[in-house]
Amino acid sequence: MKRERAAAVLSRAKGLAAEIRWFLGISLSATLLFPESAAPADVSQGAQIAATCASCHDQTGGGQAIPPIAALDEQAIVKAMLAFRASESPSLVMHAVALSLSDDEVAATARFLADRANAGRQP
Amino acid sequence: MTDWTRRQIGGLAGGALLAVAAPHIVRGQGRAKVVVIGGGIGGATVARYLGDMKSIDVILIEPNSTHVTCFFSNLYLAGLRSLASLTFGLETLAEGHGITIIRDRAVAIDPAGRAVELRGGTRLSYDRLVVAPGIAFKFGEIEGYDEAAAKIMPHAWIAGPQSELLRRQLESMDDGGVFVIAAPPNPFRCPPAPYERASLAAYYFKQFKPKSKILILDAKDKFSGQELFQDAWSRHYPGMIEWLPSQFTGAIKAVDVAARSVVTEGETFRAAVANIIPAQKAGLIGEKAGLTDASGWCPVDPVTFESTLQPGIHVVGDSIIGGDMPKSAFSANSQAKACAFAIAASLTGSPQFPPHLFNSCYTFLAPDDAFTNALTFAPEGGRIKTVKMFISKVGESAEVRRRTAHHAVGWYSAFTADVFGGGS
Ligand SMILES: Cc1cc2nc3c(=O)[nH]c(=O)nc-3n(C[C@H](O)[C@H](O)[C@H](O)COP(=O)(O)OP(=O)(O)OC[C@H]3O[C@@H](n4cnc5c(N)ncnc54)[C@H](O)[C@@H]3O)c2cc1C
Repeated sequence: MKRERAAAVLSRAKGLAAEIRWFLGISLSATLLFPESAAPADVSQGAQIAATCASCHDQTGGGQAIPPIAALDEQAIVKAMLAFRASESPSLVMHAVALSLSDDEVAATARFLADRANAGRQP
Repeated sequence: MTDWTRRQIGGLAGGALLAVAAPHIVRGQGRAKVVVIGGGIGGATVARYLGDMKSIDVILIEPNSTHVTCFFSNLYLAGLRSLASLTFGLETLAEGHGITIIRDRAVAIDPAGRAVELRGGTRLSYDRLVVAPGIAFKFGEIEGYDEAAAKIMPHAWIAGPQSELLRRQLESMDDGGVFVIAAPPNPFRCPPAPYERASLAAYYFKQFKPKSKILILDAKDKFSGQELFQDAWSRHYPGMIEWLPSQFTGAIKAVDVAARSVVTEGETFRAAVANIIPAQKAGLIGEKAGLTDASGWCPVDPVTFESTLQPGIHVVGDSIIGGDMPKSAFSANSQAKACAFAIAASLTGSPQFPPHLFNSCYTFLAPDDAFTNALTFAPEGGRIKTVKMFISKVGESAEVRRRTAHHAVGWYSAFTADVFGGGS
């Protein structure tokens, strides 16, 4: 029921977008209104802090030079963050980040990243 | 403000449809709607993070079809990166993150009516507006330097055609010429970048035009990362780069484009190539919409990035003032995320947590010698205050610097995927 309504809204919106493009001569380069299959993004505290990680760490788990964090487990992340907090070496960027997070914030972020990795691993 | 409905619709076949259609698209059938002005670093990041929440309609307005990143554009000037490798389209934001892109320029904002007017005549209503137009130049502060003069003496401080012009000039410069860089007064976009530019231009000259010199005429008496730069200049490019602070020259006062000369209080310098980086202010729409204060920049609340002058309008990126965060792509991206979560909290009731604001910039001294800094910030007394600051040190081993240069390249690809969509 919900899916049908979303699909109807999507196709109507696409049709209207084409009308507007034709009418105004502006380029609405794509109007993809929220594919109903994809779940809304998490807005928990862990997710909000983890958004910061994405400024440097490749989210697909690849990445050159800066180690990927997408597949790490919760304990490994907490352990690494505590080590980064304790020392400027090996990364002064991670030292600064780790110092700015409380223990609770580190735990919430690690939980979020590990849950996301697990969800990604499920078939 | 133009009345879009009256002006566009009368008598046209599509009119009746649009009169109904516009509110449908515009209001999103009860879903909250956020309009974002500017598809650069700050604007694209806000749009992406709001789009991913899937509960808000997001419309991004950007006149250009692609964005050329300023960061890494100094590598392009030195022949170390192609401009194509620094160029990003907005398609992934549209296709993968549910954002509607309108290729147009915002020309006016009606804060009371909560609407934006575009150059093409469209009027878009919004529940929240985000303004991220980057910088504009204070043309007129240097006599003789205006938009026309910039076509001969480029600023190359907004990447794209200006970068290509400066690169062409450096390539065609004779060996033994003087490359003059006029560095701007604070505050300006990317404080270490004029000096990174000098470093990488020197790297290029050292290989192809070793008799050439670089003269930096500064409007300031000190600059960001000064010790690290001056150490690198003496190690890599001895005798090639001369830095003249404002106290020695009285700073740049005028240019003579025809004579290719740059005039300070007491002297005239002939330049084979002149790169004039003028004083800066918030992107022009900020001023037009009453978002700027006497400084020329936009004051904001440090938690939500809502304008302190116009409720319902948020500003992120280089256009803002009011704290310690430098004007950098990293700062713009960090502010944009805090802003997106704050907007979602106010429109959809999602939880809001204290923002974590960061800046970390990689700066090249040579292709295999880079330094980095890392700063954390927190809101305090209505301003953004630095909490911690770390920076690379003079005397680090070549291996550490090589690794930092390698990290910079990794950062670039992850960062641009975060901003323009990719991963998730
Ligand atoms: C040489 C150089 C090197 C740099 N190196 C680094 C670096 O290593 N690291 C780093 O973090 N930062 C770096 N920066 C700084 C970084 O590029 C800027 O801080 C960043 O781009 C700011 O983002 P922004 O969103 O505020 O502005 P921009 O990215 O400039 O985006 C503004 C956008 O708004 C659009 N726009 C303007 N007016 C309107 C309007 N009326 N309607 C619609 N759209 C509009 C523009 O077309 C543009 O696309 C560097 C800058 C320079 C010049």
